[in-house]
Amino acid sequence: MGLWVSRLLSIFGEKEARILVLGLDNAGKTTILYRLQVGEVVSTIPTIGFNVETVTYKNIKFQVWDLGGQTSIRPYWRCYYPNTQAIIYVVDSSDTERIGTSAEEFHAILDEEELKDALILVYANKQDLPGALDDAAVAEGLGLSSIKSRDWAIFKTSAIKGDGLFEGLDWLSNMLKTRRR
Amino acid sequence: MFSLLYGLWEYVSRKEELRVLIIGLDKSGKTTLLEKIKGLFGDTPGLEPHAILPTVGLNVGRLEAFQAQLLLWDLGGAPGLRSIWDKYYADSHALLFVVDASQPARLEEARCELERALASRELFGAPLLVLANKTDLAPEGGAGSSARLGLERLEGRASRVQPASALSGAGVREGLQWLVEQVRRSDRAALLQQRATRA
Repeated sequence: MGLWVSRLLSIFGEKEARILVLGLDNAGKTTILYRLQVGEVVSTIPTIGFNVETVTYKNIKFQVWDLGGQTSIRPYWRCYYPNTQAIIYVVDSSDTERIGTSAEEFHAILDEEELKDALILVYANKQDLPGALDDAAVAEGLGLSSIKSRDWAIFKTSAIKGDGLFEGLDWLSNMLKTRRR
Repeated sequence: MFSLLYGLWEYVSRKEELRVLIIGLDKSGKTTLLEKIKGLFGDTPGLEPHAILPTVGLNVGRLEAFQAQLLLWDLGGAPGLRSIWDKYYADSHALLFVVDASQPARLEEARCELERALASRELFGAPLLVLANKTDLAPEGGAGSSARLGLERLEGRASRVQPASALSGAGVREGLQWLVEQVRRSDRAALLQQRATRA
């Protein structure tokens, strides 16, 4: 009986998913968060700690956590890992010098036991800047192809222009819906 | 003693994991195929075809079929993302190349990509199934693809063209069964094992 009630609720009610937005400092995580939530570019300062907002899209409530990306506070990311359904990993595609560092942080995340079932969505951000690497190059730089046991996707985005962000959420909501059945 | 017996039981009851790489041009129907296979063999229905978006990365399917544990990798086929394909070659037991048989105009492009894949040493000895997909749109589409894809010149590799429709599921089961059997018959699994122990 309880099972049926909860199934009915899941059909009619909104579903909530916990999403972490991670990436190096200055990748554009906070700009992305507010672009998704209010649809505008807000002026941001480097995040010390976190911002959390709820974004409702295609009948899914995304609880989006944007965690500060500076070196000194990256160790605190792991406090937020439990019960996370997906990671949005943001890369500054124009920062070719630090793609290696970004890859290291990325692979540390992939190795986390608590995140082993989390979906991996990569935003190759700042596509509006000259010299930005394209999606294939960012995928290569991050070593995305070493992921062999779970779904991943990469999107070219520009948080400033608003490009690509919702295409990524489309993918995410699609995947989350199939997982819940 | 118990652990010894348990170990033995695990050994005999264990199922080999076969990894199948699904590639092909964009819009050929790879993800629709994957979801169809999930529906045919898994315990949950796959995604409805209308809900499927172009893949920009990797979709994974895990299921049991023909007494084997299958791990299916479906990679995006857009031109910019094809450079990712070869990163999966070394770990794949078999290659499933999907062709849209209702689009003869793109057959040459498909042939080119397939040839490039088969030239890779990483895929040495891996059985190849070419799925001539969308036969629901072009019933005669499967015939003749073999020659036009240059498959007749393949030596030392088990290969076959299977007319199919990922939409209706026609031909899918047969094709997959053939592929699993060919992997069992081939030296590919032994080769991968060898590579793994050497690494």
